[in-house]
Amino acid sequence: MSALNTVGLADILLVSPMIVLFLFSLLPLTIKVLRGNKEQPPVATVIEALLGLGLTAVLLIVFSGYSEAAPPTAFGGQLIFDGLTMWVGLISVVVGAGATVMMHENPSTRGDQYSELVFLTMNSLLGALVLISAVNLITVFIGLELMSLSLYLMIAMSHEQKISKEAAIKYFVLGSFASAVFLYGVSFIYGSTGSVSTLSLVKNAEMLLKSGNHLFLFGFAFIVFGFCFKVSIAPFHAWTPDVYQGAATPITSFMATAIKAASFAAFLRIIASKGLLGSENLFLILQWFAVLTMTIGNVAALVQSNFKRTLAYSSIAHSGYVLIGVIAAGISETPSYAAAGVVFYLLTYSLMTMGAFAVLSLLEKNENDFVLTEDLAGFAKQKPTLAFCLTVFLLSLAGLPPALGFFGKLYLFSAAINEGLLWLVFWGVINSVLGAYYYLRPIVMMYMREGQRNTSAANNYATVFIVIASATLVLLLGVASGPIFSLIERALG
Amino acid sequence: MLLSLLVFLPVLFAVMVTLWPQKNTVRFLALGLASIEFLVSLVLLQKFDSSSAALQLVEKSIWIERFGISYFLGIDGISLMLVFLTTFLMPIIILASWNSIDQKIKGFHAALFLLQTAMLGSFLAMDAVLFYVFWELSLIPMYFIIGIWGGVRKIYATVKFFIYTMAGSLLMLLAIIFMMNLTPEVTGGTMSASLLDFYKLKIPFIAGDFFTTQTLLFFAFASAFAIKIPMFPLHTWLPDAHVEAPTPGSVVLAGVMLKMGTYGLLRWVLPLFPEAAEHYGWIFIAAGVIGVIYGALVAMVQPDIKKLVAYSSVSHMGYIIIGIFTMNAYGLNGALYQMLNHGISTGALFILIGMIYERTHSREISKYGGLASRLPIFTIAFIIVTMSSIAVPLTNGFVGEFLILLGTYQYAPAVAALIVSGVVLGAAYMLWMVKRVFFGPTGELVLNEHRQLLDLNLRELMVLAPLIVMIFWMGVFPGHFMKFSSASVDHLIKNKHNYSLLISGSTQEEVQEK
Repeated sequence: MSALNTVGLADILLVSPMIVLFLFSLLPLTIKVLRGNKEQPPVATVIEALLGLGLTAVLLIVFSGYSEAAPPTAFGGQLIFDGLTMWVGLISVVVGAGATVMMHENPSTRGDQYSELVFLTMNSLLGALVLISAVNLITVFIGLELMSLSLYLMIAMSHEQKISKEAAIKYFVLGSFASAVFLYGVSFIYGSTGSVSTLSLVKNAEMLLKSGNHLFLFGFAFIVFGFCFKVSIAPFHAWTPDVYQGAATPITSFMATAIKAASFAAFLRIIASKGLLGSENLFLILQWFAVLTMTIGNVAALVQSNFKRTLAYSSIAHSGYVLIGVIAAGISETPSYAAAGVVFYLLTYSLMTMGAFAVLSLLEKNENDFVLTEDLAGFAKQKPTLAFCLTVFLLSLAGLPPALGFFGKLYLFSAAINEGLLWLVFWGVINSVLGAYYYLRPIVMMYMREGQRNTSAANNYATVFIVIASATLVLLLGVASGPIFSLIERALG
Repeated sequence: MLLSLLVFLPVLFAVMVTLWPQKNTVRFLALGLASIEFLVSLVLLQKFDSSSAALQLVEKSIWIERFGISYFLGIDGISLMLVFLTTFLMPIIILASWNSIDQKIKGFHAALFLLQTAMLGSFLAMDAVLFYVFWELSLIPMYFIIGIWGGVRKIYATVKFFIYTMAGSLLMLLAIIFMMNLTPEVTGGTMSASLLDFYKLKIPFIAGDFFTTQTLLFFAFASAFAIKIPMFPLHTWLPDAHVEAPTPGSVVLAGVMLKMGTYGLLRWVLPLFPEAAEHYGWIFIAAGVIGVIYGALVAMVQPDIKKLVAYSSVSHMGYIIIGIFTMNAYGLNGALYQMLNHGISTGALFILIGMIYERTHSREISKYGGLASRLPIFTIAFIIVTMSSIAVPLTNGFVGEFLILLGTYQYAPAVAALIVSGVVLGAAYMLWMVKRVFFGPTGELVLNEHRQLLDLNLRELMVLAPLIVMIFWMGVFPGHFMKFSSASVDHLIKNKHNYSLLISGSTQEEVQEK
């Protein structure tokens, strides 16, 4: 722990993405203060934010990543900047940038308090980066809280006056409870092992779990449950539909992609560390969680009429698929294969989910508007390009080739079968059929029913750009997904 | 390059059709492009060596190295004729839909071309994942064709079609991934999705134990294909899809897409899981027999002509399933031949029904009657196609059905006796329908003074002429067509327990080095 006292240039360089992110997040706010509390033109805010996020991404690529020797760590091993940090960090930053742009044009978030929202988004991302890179439970907690506290505020700041406030309170109460459970778990672990380092935790976990140390067992279970809450794994998923529905659409998109990816990365870091190889009970419980999550998500999505709520349940279902990969990485002797499957799936899932939410954002006429699946009727006639893009996202979410989603599923399921999780993959496959049914419904509405609904898509060019860009990626990246997967796998060592 | 060209030209065509500036001439463009595709496929004839059972015109390059997935196309006797069937039917379909598709014409033709790519890709892909990609891709355009240009209950029909097929194919995906994870034992450590490596696998089989690897894989694959064929009792999506689909959709569906299922049985199930196919083949033969008889009986009582033909498809596909699972030379050759026959004769029937529907806007048999005196040429065409469908000698249907019956007799005379009754029933429902529609007392639709019923025009004659020519050509000279497939079928029967495919022009090792 002596290294803590000497902070060198190497440390500063490693955490430079976070520093940049924080400094740029202050920029719009400072300007607002200097202008006498008047909002600067939102376009300027967007440009500042994108500059900051772009620089963050570049610094992440330059300074983090896999190395032959031990992966680079900062502050005496508190933060680790390995391939996982780099890839999931990049995913979060990119979809975070997408969300920032969407907020600029969505009726619930544009206007008055936009610079505050950008500040919070970037700080939430900062928390996400800390969460991804932390290898100390206390640091994990700090990242988790920074990320979540910013989110609570962001949800509450929607211009919509009723359900967004309700969603913020719900998320705050339940989220705080989950954080408390997590922290409680950390205290148990500290009490039983005298350490809060993730590395030493997973190194000794097997022995401690086997030795019947109940204090440690409880602590570990609480930590796992805390993560399950964050990534909406059933039975800890109940907050998700309400909060996702209540939050302004760009923020929902941010939660469903960047936040979920970061939380899964931190979860993966603890589970997939070869330290828990013998903990059969833990993985048995997680397997049941995965089955439950997929089933609840898909079955509940079948009966939703609100499009956003359908996407919320779909996001729960996808958490279940990702959990299959996490389990496979956990029980594997060579976790990098399955872990790469998880990271690749997070990438595909983030892209297509962001795209779907971006189309939804374009459909909303004002801050109190909510879009039913039926409202999509006739959309293909009105906006053929957007309708086509939404079709691509939905088919990709359903896992149909040649879209990216198919390859995500292929790699993930292949890793799971490689670890002998056949029955889990079987459930995943059955669930994909259920999923296909509700992903088809909006397509039926758009192309096969007549209808008229005014959209606000007229001059929201930036959001349209996001839609088209992510649709292109979803459509074309699949064919080129092999090298990307290999790149990720190599980065994860 | 030829095979890639063949598979991906339609994608280019789809783009061209979409970007074409004039709405009025899109049909001409599409017709021309589809004809070009057919001409390109004719080049295959020249390059294909029909005396060899090897995989020919192979193209292989690495696609996703980590999983051993490659871009791997090849053609042999089993797929050659199906490729022809696809490229041959496409211009006919476009010409047949000339007047019936009047909205979103560009989108329609783009969907047709994408569908063509998917179907050709499925027939030519020799890599499991590539095959799966094309297989699933074929769902999407068909889903839109039924859903956008279909009839009253189109949405119900198209969603049912999609979900049924997808449920089956996801099981197949599971099986494919599982087999990819088995391949390291034959490739020396690396994963492979190549079908040729799959063939090398010795998958353990224990008779009587359902939960052995080979049995489970067999049922995963076979159920995916059985849904697509469709085999009784998984057939219920087909009548709905056919009745609601627009004419061209029905023709593609019956003509080519159903064959993807039977092709899958020949290419995948028999060579990969020979023991399981022998041991559990009776289930499929039984289902085939029930399909033959049940399809015929249900067809008999249909009041709607199109539904009648749809159920006749269930019946005809039953023969093909039986032919395949007899696993002898007669059965397999007959099944392969019957796949082409069914594509042509049922396709022609759907086109004819589309033509009469355009004139009267009804498909109810009871409203017709005495059509022969009003539309003599149409009647002649319809009766010729009916003869083919009920397998009258000198038409193509006879050859296929006769071979299948021979094969079935070798397998078990009792089964042959059962399906012969299906042949009789088939003649009964078709001829009865012909009698009610074309002869007898004049029906209300035909009587209607306000509507002038016109006989076939030049375009419609041009649509039907190639089909009728094929019906007789294939009926009188089956050797012209069977010579292409016989080497491959013989190879399959002789080596059914250790099936492997060589790549023509090079030994196996050389190709792997590439």
